Amino acid sequence: MSELTQKTYWKSLNELAQNKEYEKFVEREFPENATELSDGFSRKGFLRVMGASIALAGFAACRRPVQKILPYSKQPEDIVPGIPLFYASAMPFQGNLTGLVVENHEGRPTKVEGNDLHPASGGNTNAYHQASILEMYDPDRSKFPVRNGAKSSTTDFHSFVADYFADTNKRVAFISEANSSPTYNGLKEEALNRFDNAEWVTYEPFGEDNAIEGNNIAFGRRVRTHYNFTNADIIVSLDDDFLAPTHPNNVEYAKQVTFRRKVTSQQDTMNRIYSVENGFTITGSYADHRKRVKASEMADFANALAATLSSRISGLNSFASVNNKFTGSEFITVLADDLASNAGRSAVSLGFDYAPEVHAVVAAINSALDNYGTAVNLLQVPHFDNQNNKTAFANLVSSISDGNFDAVVIIGANPALTAPADLNFTEALSGADEVFHLSTYNDETAKTASWHVARSHYLEAWGDGYSFSGARAVIQPQIQPLHDSLSEIEFLGAITNAGKISGYDMVRETFSSFYSRNFENRWLDILHDGIDVTDGFSTANRSARNVSPAPSTTINEIEVVIKPDNSVYDGRFANLGWLQELPDPITKITWDNVALLSPATAESLGISTDDYLGKAKQPVLNIAVNGTPIKLAAWVQPGHADDSITVHTGYGREGIGRVADVSSESSQLLDPETTSGGVNVYPIRTSSSMLFAQAGVSVTGEKYPIACVQDHHSLEGRDMYRQATLAKYKEKADYASFESIHKYAVPGMAEAAELGEDQPISLFNEQTAVEGEPQWGMAIDLNACFGCGVCIIACQSENNIPVIGKREVERGREMHWIRNDRYYMGDKENPQAVHQPVPCMHCELAPCEQVCPVAATTHSDDGMNQMTYNRCIGTRYCANNCPFKVRRFNFFNYPKEYLTSGEDPDIIQMAMNPEVTVRFIGVMEKCTYCVQRVNREKISAKIETGSPKPADGTVQTACQQACPADAIYFGDLTDENSEVTKMKRNERNYLMLEELNVRPRTSYIAKLTNPNPALVKETNEEYAQ
Amino acid sequence: MAQIFPKWTNQVPRLILVGLIVTVNVVILGVWYFFSPEYTDVGYAPEQPVPYSHQIHVDKLGLDCQYCHTSVWDSKQANIPPTQTCMNCHNQIKTDSEKLAPIRESWETGKAVEWVRVHNLADYAYFNHAAHVNVGVGCESCHGRIDKMEVVYQAEPLSMSWCLDCHREPEKYLRPVEEVTTMGYEVEDQLTIGAELVRKNNVSPPQYCQGCHY
Repeated sequence: MSELTQKTYWKSLNELAQNKEYEKFVEREFPENATELSDGFSRKGFLRVMGASIALAGFAACRRPVQKILPYSKQPEDIVPGIPLFYASAMPFQGNLTGLVVENHEGRPTKVEGNDLHPASGGNTNAYHQASILEMYDPDRSKFPVRNGAKSSTTDFHSFVADYFADTNKRVAFISEANSSPTYNGLKEEALNRFDNAEWVTYEPFGEDNAIEGNNIAFGRRVRTHYNFTNADIIVSLDDDFLAPTHPNNVEYAKQVTFRRKVTSQQDTMNRIYSVENGFTITGSYADHRKRVKASEMADFANALAATLSSRISGLNSFASVNNKFTGSEFITVLADDLASNAGRSAVSLGFDYAPEVHAVVAAINSALDNYGTAVNLLQVPHFDNQNNKTAFANLVSSISDGNFDAVVIIGANPALTAPADLNFTEALSGADEVFHLSTYNDETAKTASWHVARSHYLEAWGDGYSFSGARAVIQPQIQPLHDSLSEIEFLGAITNAGKISGYDMVRETFSSFYSRNFENRWLDILHDGIDVTDGFSTANRSARNVSPAPSTTINEIEVVIKPDNSVYDGRFANLGWLQELPDPITKITWDNVALLSPATAESLGISTDDYLGKAKQPVLNIAVNGTPIKLAAWVQPGHADDSITVHTGYGREGIGRVADVSSESSQLLDPETTSGGVNVYPIRTSSSMLFAQAGVSVTGEKYPIACVQDHHSLEGRDMYRQATLAKYKEKADYASFESIHKYAVPGMAEAAELGEDQPISLFNEQTAVEGEPQWGMAIDLNACFGCGVCIIACQSENNIPVIGKREVERGREMHWIRNDRYYMGDKENPQAVHQPVPCMHCELAPCEQVCPVAATTHSDDGMNQMTYNRCIGTRYCANNCPFKVRRFNFFNYPKEYLTSGEDPDIIQMAMNPEVTVRFIGVMEKCTYCVQRVNREKISAKIETGSPKPADGTVQTACQQACPADAIYFGDLTDENSEVTKMKRNERNYLMLEELNVRPRTSYIAKLTNPNPALVKETNEEYAQ
Repeated sequence: MAQIFPKWTNQVPRLILVGLIVTVNVVILGVWYFFSPEYTDVGYAPEQPVPYSHQIHVDKLGLDCQYCHTSVWDSKQANIPPTQTCMNCHNQIKTDSEKLAPIRESWETGKAVEWVRVHNLADYAYFNHAAHVNVGVGCESCHGRIDKMEVVYQAEPLSMSWCLDCHREPEKYLRPVEEVTTMGYEVEDQLTIGAELVRKNNVSPPQYCQGCHY
């Protein structure tokens, strides 16, 4: 293999170094010993780990199983058995709703999609929305109320609270997660009126409190900053990962940002994104310029930016005298120039967890740039509390601890896990007589509560609320509650009214108060459309104040930065196998959290950067903040800021469920050396170090295995990714063509030209398109993709793909049909990162088809590479021969045992898509272009129009439908006007490994970047390979 | 020295060989026939919770298939009728029949009548009723003369080769869409009419795997 140069793409430090271990590793399809099935571990135990994430077992294939058909007794009017219905609903996350449309099979929700009428969705979703369906069917969810550790019921709960809260003099402390529901907030008012001695605090571990407080400093109002990135030519993200699902409005923002990067011709323009951050975020990987800055220096950076701008625009005079290490630096000068020349058309954003004073500085910058009203808006959010909830929460906890409250009511939140460690939340609760807690899981807080009540999932209960931008919608249940549970409004309603009122009545009553007449019709429209009004929040007036520079928070030693995890967030999604097994968008690590640090910092700590392959055993670090230590495996992250360590929350759980738990018995059974589930980092998160803190770091000498997929399915440095700058594209439109990259024509073309053909000559029989049939193809716009991974989860949900557990992932057996390759480019200290989703390419001359001895993989008339499971005998030749490494093999009967054993096998089975086969042991599988959706539309088109070609846009693959960047195009290539054909006509369209002449149906639209010419030498001089 | 083996033993290898060939062929043919859906599945007539007779309802009373199997034109499933459909008539006719007790019970309790499935395709095969009846595949082509069945049994093997018989030569089996539910449909010049129907309805049944297997 040739030496890789700085200009090539690399997936890991080992690939960059091209060491022996790496070559050995990638040569094999699976790591050593991973293909042997006979190592002794309990398969039963192994299967038990998989939690809710299993597929439906087919009925055992005996000769004649007696099957029953159970028709309805009284059939509901709209249900036609076999035809799914779609209902609008919305998912709350951190108090903000995203509109969804839920696919419902005979009363059983199986898949969520975005609602295109809802502004927070625009028809798309993120990974959390997709995985929420699994959460509802999770057998480890809390199933019934628990009274002092014993099973109870909602009936008992109702009678208890009716009695207990009859005394309105009770001193009650309410701790609630963020909730925008007008019904809920009405009940909140009622509660505060009813109990004279009540206090209410909204608590979110990673909420927007500081951002609101920052606006309060800058404008004297507690308002929300909402961006409209479609109007922003320049976007500056100061460690604000607004493209990641951890951001409550990421789908809308992703749509806006990527919309401005859709380039179809050389005349088009693009926005420019600058990202300043310590760790590598999704937003950072999508940025044109990324600057590594420690989190503790962000205040200085913001001050310096304001100072540099103060000489260019008015309104920032108070910053003129700022002088720190960033003032005068080239990056900040260029950035200030760019912002100043795009005043009114730019947006500066800052991560929620930075100090309010820094948010105020950013608000002042946006204000001075006159961005308000165009790219940035201030929204008056009626349900915001009139207090700083961070301090209010701390005060409330100490007050509870002092015995000032009789009862504590905790709704949704899990402060026993997530509260700042110095507040000693769990001990404080002993100051109250009764603790009521409503939550989805029997979690840390539930275990300390005297009354734990199971919470109804949003797919089971009525609710309402606002989106981040103020769109009002109703949460419409899709199914009766599976368990004995209450929704948050039913729970709070029981406490305030001491009566049992249904969630439906409450929500309906709330909405009827918005409409004085014609409510009945309006109500039906709201339920049908899944949206009521889009302008629920009014734009706030700003009265600019004089903002002073934020106090410097520089830490000269190593800092540790605590962020919510892309997969499990603050821990609330920890029991969802889909998300646990979703590789992190940047690190590609599954099932664990790690301490991310830069190569230079690793070296200074004496950590080798070599040991990453296969079952990587990572050195464990001891990270101590104010004397509290945590032990966490180190992971070298190219592009991380030096002297900075990023850790993620939500892992290291106990007693939550089979997927989340660290020390689950079953994972011990598997392999005593393999534990998954990571480490709880909340112990080092205190009131004074909510985002970052000075840390004492030492290497312990212990090792911990990490399942990282970055080197799996490697294309071994072959030409797979292409990109150029916008300026270069304007010079040379076909920069991504094979000839432009390799300086010679595709092999076989010259010979083909002699024969008068337009495709390279081939050894194999040409697949001819069958007359009259559609020919399916896909195009993936690399310029839009920012790597979030929702396509992987959407595919998993649609196609019943099993979760296989950490140990199996370590062995390279992950089953995802679409993988998202992340490549670094350039210097290992500060590389650029790019993302490339890779599904099956559906090659016209597919190499897999040539080698199958039993013709289990063949070509269909509509041009798909089809996989016939019942023919497959599991030779795996096809996977060996696939140059794109997209085929997946069932090493075990992943679905079977789980679905026929355990407490509630039926519940798991309900999560499965009835249109898709569940595969069993020894069978190869891969992306099918969602053939079940294709065939469904082909059949209905045939019935309705007589033509087997569905209209363009009627068939959407699951990945395409979910993608918030609209990066995936799918359709009929015989239709000259289909979206996918148009995309494939783009000059930037290219085929991966074109020289192999396998003629993939999936092609890529090469990436463009829009670097600032003044900074180009700081990035890589030439992007194209 | 005396011969250890008598002369006839020279024939033993030959006999063994012949015997082996015969046995192997018998086994193969036996498996071929006795393990095939033609033998195992055709004629399967399980006892149903209610001895519903298609013969009485269809042949004698003249009910159309679609009176009960309502979604056959729209859905992949033809739909086993809800208890409601039975009660449309049976709340007035034979209201105290003992045989109908499970129906009345289902109607009162809301619980389903547990019918036993007769026509069961192999796993991993997808079948869509709407796609077939809308191009003129008659009910009886797959289900046989339901109108003559006192107890419903499986009339055709429902095997892959049987499916492909029609997918390869649809003109042999297609009928005008209006005649789909007709029982005992027969025309003299089926091939001509069939070919005309194939052309008119643009029928091109998939013969590639993913047409049915996914």
